[in-house]
Amino acid sequence: MEKEREKDFEFEDEISLPVTSYWKDVVRRFCKNRIAVLGLILLTIIVVLCAGAPLFTRYDPVMDMDLMNMLTPPGDREHPLGTDDLGRDIWCRLLYGGRSSLLTGLSVAAFAAVIGVTIGLYSGYFGGIVESLLMRFTDIMLSFPFLIVAIAIMSVLGSSQKNIIMTLAITSWPRFARLTRGQVLSVKNMEYVESARVAGFKDVRILFRHVLPNCIGPLIIQGTLAVGSAILSAASLNYLGLGADAAAPDWGMMLSQGKNYLQLAPYLTTIPGIAISITVLSMNWIGDGLRDAFDPKMRK
Amino acid sequence: MWSYMIRRILQAIPTLLVISFLIFSLLYITPGDPVELIFGTEDQSLSEEQRQIIMEEWGLDQPFLIRYKNFVFNALQGDLGTSYATGQPVFESVIERMPATFTLAAFAMVLSLLISVPLGMLAALKHNSIWDSLATALATIGVSLPKFWFGLVLMIYFSLKWGLLPSTGSADLMTDGPVEFLKHIIMPGSALALGMAATQTRMIRSSMLDVLGQDYVRYARSKGLKEKAVIWGHAFKNAMIPVITVIGSEIGGLLGGAVVTESIFSWPGVGRLAVNSISKRDYPMIQGITLLLCTSYLLINLLVDIVYAWVDPRIRLDKKS
Repeated sequence: MEKEREKDFEFEDEISLPVTSYWKDVVRRFCKNRIAVLGLILLTIIVVLCAGAPLFTRYDPVMDMDLMNMLTPPGDREHPLGTDDLGRDIWCRLLYGGRSSLLTGLSVAAFAAVIGVTIGLYSGYFGGIVESLLMRFTDIMLSFPFLIVAIAIMSVLGSSQKNIIMTLAITSWPRFARLTRGQVLSVKNMEYVESARVAGFKDVRILFRHVLPNCIGPLIIQGTLAVGSAILSAASLNYLGLGADAAAPDWGMMLSQGKNYLQLAPYLTTIPGIAISITVLSMNWIGDGLRDAFDPKMRK
Repeated sequence: MWSYMIRRILQAIPTLLVISFLIFSLLYITPGDPVELIFGTEDQSLSEEQRQIIMEEWGLDQPFLIRYKNFVFNALQGDLGTSYATGQPVFESVIERMPATFTLAAFAMVLSLLISVPLGMLAALKHNSIWDSLATALATIGVSLPKFWFGLVLMIYFSLKWGLLPSTGSADLMTDGPVEFLKHIIMPGSALALGMAATQTRMIRSSMLDVLGQDYVRYARSKGLKEKAVIWGHAFKNAMIPVITVIGSEIGGLLGGAVVTESIFSWPGVGRLAVNSISKRDYPMIQGITLLLCTSYLLINLLVDIVYAWVDPRIRLDKKS
């Protein structure tokens, strides 16, 4: 009898799975998703190419104007992707332009996240009249047709890359605020938060050590998607001529310049558009992969 | 139902007030002197007295809040000021161009539904098949393309390379006939519909999958109903409920996207007016356009919500949401 029991125990020991942490699980599930991994690889390549731009091209994006070879179509020996209306190498401008576009996307998402998460945490955790006022305001901000508001703000602030980032951050924080608040509301009555409160921890500590880490999954997903949509919106604003000065390389600006040569040199328009699309597509793939990885129940 | 409608309308009022306040403050902090912008020419400036008279006449010497109050009261009477660039009243100029924008937006909406409903249904019904992957991939790509760029690419091929479609302008359905109308609207309409069709496809797919897993669908199947009857009679209608909400909020994106699309295809709507006004620094016009587009967006959403509550009683009975 006793021996049999021992056997049972041994048996149980053998079939029990190795203990994995939450994050290891997330990474494992993400890696299983082939499309998400493809997105990550694509994005890494794009970031490396853009960040290390001088390593991959011998031209300068602004100064090197090959006036003998203006509007060379792609496939040229000297200029693999051709040249623009001022004889500047498109491959080179694409690499440097990516820096600007990626930086815009990242900064917008970061600013929007900081503002949105702070407001969401505060109103979700403390509640009360401030909460309802803040959330009412958030709802109102969400109900704006945001590109129109962005255009209105930009027309007043004046055209520059910095103003684009600011405008897009102003118009995109409400999503983060809504999301955070929802998460906080579902977490704040959990036992571990209550026990932290009973233990006498300060609210700030509870918020950042106990509440926020448990809301982080959806926020990371939202962040990834926000970078992609900020790149798209920034391109629209740049296209409308609200961006930085025309000489600075940026994917949206390149598109905007290309529109004057649709007939003569359509590649001036198609190439930067493809770059934007691939970047945003890989962001969206990563975002979708993260969604499945963080919440396997959501998987359909 | 009445109490729901009244509540919803009352909720829209503070939203409108906040919008108008933000838009008004934007104009207020705008650099540059409005009097100078309208009357000042490059060679001659206004004398101090002339300026004073104009400021008083237009109420520009009043404090901020009083000017805001006047702005709201004037706006309620359909007076949004005068354009710096043309001297025309803003309200009339914008309203005049609204039909073109709404035609384009409505066309894009119908087009996106024609694409997304079959695609989303196909993906859900053939779940985990090659069709599902294909539809999902198409939807993700559709979300990721810059809409205006898609419009430009369409223009490069269909107008400039193959000469099939006119690249700019619009045609009237009544006077020019349906063929001309379609020829003009199909490209800007597709460019505008692309992103929305993609979002809706994803939405319809996941909502349909959700519904197909419900007990009442299993019950309908187990009592021997034909698959067609199960899908269209039981599942489809319920699956469309969350989709309708998304469509309501997509209208905002549609109006915003119209601004860019119209400027590409020289579509004579509000969007092109907005872009032109930006380059001329015509602030009252920008202000009026923003206010009127936001208002129409709110009104459309209000309408969607009311129709929605009428269709689905659960919504109007749910007091707090």
